[in-house]
Amino acid sequence: MSSWAANLTLNHKLGLVALALGGVAVLSRVAPERTLTLNAKELLTRIERQDDHVTPAELATWIIEGRTDYRLIDIRDAAAFAAYHIPTAEHVPLSEVADGGLARTDKLVLYGDGGIHAAQAQIVLGGMGYRRVYTLREGLDAWKDEVLYPSGPEHPDAEHAARFERAVRVARFFGGQPRAATPAGTSAPAAPVAAPEPVPPPPVSTPALPAGGVFGAPPAKKKEGC
Amino acid sequence: MELPASPKHPPQPYMNPYLAGIGIGVALLAAFVLVGRGLGASGAFNSTIAWLVSSVAPDYAHGNRFLAGYLDGDHPLKSWLVFEVAGVFAGALLSGLLAHRAALVVERGPRISVAGRLVLAFIGGVLMAFGAAFARGCTSGQALTGGSLLNLGSWVFMLSVFGGAYAVAWLVRRQWR
Amino acid sequence: MMAPLAKLGYFGDEVGLVIAFAIGIGFGFFLERAGFGSAKKLVAQFYLRDLAVFKVMFSAIVTAMLGVTYLAWAGVLDLSLVYLVPTYWVAQLVGGLVLGVGFVVGGYCPGTSIASTATGRIDGMVYVLGFAFGTLGFAVASPVLDGLLGAGELGPTTLPDALGAPRGVVVFLVVVLAVVGFAGASWIEHKLAARDAVAPK
Repeated sequence: MSSWAANLTLNHKLGLVALALGGVAVLSRVAPERTLTLNAKELLTRIERQDDHVTPAELATWIIEGRTDYRLIDIRDAAAFAAYHIPTAEHVPLSEVADGGLARTDKLVLYGDGGIHAAQAQIVLGGMGYRRVYTLREGLDAWKDEVLYPSGPEHPDAEHAARFERAVRVARFFGGQPRAATPAGTSAPAAPVAAPEPVPPPPVSTPALPAGGVFGAPPAKKKEGC
Repeated sequence: MELPASPKHPPQPYMNPYLAGIGIGVALLAAFVLVGRGLGASGAFNSTIAWLVSSVAPDYAHGNRFLAGYLDGDHPLKSWLVFEVAGVFAGALLSGLLAHRAALVVERGPRISVAGRLVLAFIGGVLMAFGAAFARGCTSGQALTGGSLLNLGSWVFMLSVFGGAYAVAWLVRRQWR
Repeated sequence: MMAPLAKLGYFGDEVGLVIAFAIGIGFGFFLERAGFGSAKKLVAQFYLRDLAVFKVMFSAIVTAMLGVTYLAWAGVLDLSLVYLVPTYWVAQLVGGLVLGVGFVVGGYCPGTSIASTATGRIDGMVYVLGFAFGTLGFAVASPVLDGLLGAGELGPTTLPDALGAPRGVVVFLVVVLAVVGFAGASWIEHKLAARDAVAPK
């Protein structure tokens, strides 16, 4: 037996090592555990400081400026995304957010219909080591309310008028339109409308961007093929 | 081998193929661990061609979907594969010099002329460019990288490469034997 | 998870390019060490005289495969962050066949053609020109070839996915396949070398 072992060439030994390693590998598990590591105090402080939001107005500005240093992520389902999504948004449903399509080094802005799901996803990603995750404060509801269909006071002063003027331009850029101004001081809804004024359905197709188009598709990812 | 061997520095014998393979495997593993991607070669050619075309005919280059894919982001030559392939050149040169195997020759069998060999080398290159484009890679990228990652398409590719080569080898035996 | 380091923010693109060059040096070095700067050595594989191509290729695959498996198992490497080229099995089958034919005609593959050029092989340089020319030709023809190019699209798929087998088992089977292949390769080489000695071609 020992003479057999002594007669093994280098190649034979390499082959045996490979078979041994391969055999043990049968037991291997390679899917990473998706456990979260959270520091309670740190997390609660962050939530209280509220510095991990992006307001709809800020996001609108970023889009108009053509910034590509972040990724806008829509976490709703496919049907909702298809019906309308904020221009430049990528679709990553909530359940797939931890699957690996989002890099820990990316700056991410998440949004859902309201603010809750995005905030929950933000906590989960934070527990997985993501440090650059932001949410659109109050989500699409706020986007529609503040960007797409802005409303302003009925009798604005100069400053408010200028601001509203700008909001209207932004709204039109995204395919929306201003809402009629609510009469100041009215406590009861004006007759004959009993319910609040219905918000018109959002535009179905994402609006065309200006010809000077500062940016194109989602941030350019270098090809990783061979 | 037809390498001109000088009496003082004969070409050294080749390394044990298994050890060389392990060396390459370690380089490949390093790529996975450090940058999360594998090796390649054909992609570097694609980037270079895309860059050349965009230098003389930028509108055409950006309009061509295949080329445009290599032109987004900054300079097409500032690509991982281009730098890797530059390294391959350097590493091979180093090894060849150390082993006294570097020489300006034309590799060919005894029954074919230099011109014939060069024509076939060119044609082979053209064919493989098409093959690599369809396969999304060549033996470095698909077979080595994809093979070690157990990529289904890569294994299909690998088997086809061996199949295609063995099928035609007899037909072109005059070039080599 | 500490790896892939680049994807976890340890360094940026510029360092990645330096790493690319360094790893390329390793790759090219061992390619030439194995003799793959020589078309004759490479092509001997397909005449069953010298199966170094098979031996080197599968040693590399097994090494990297086992390395990845053990590092992922140890929780060091996040395999989901390692790029997997999507599968287009029909296009890749056709591409492989064409590449194989090109291999015995041209005598090199793209990676080895670089190694061969670096060591002075003129046929390697001409091959590089041919490959560049072919790439340009493909680019021009690509709109027409679009259908075949996307044929058999399956997305990123692994053998364990396709076979429905546990990944560890597939790893073991690949190792067995390789080792058996190596033994078979040696046997074939000896057989044919003996035959050549008796009746030289």
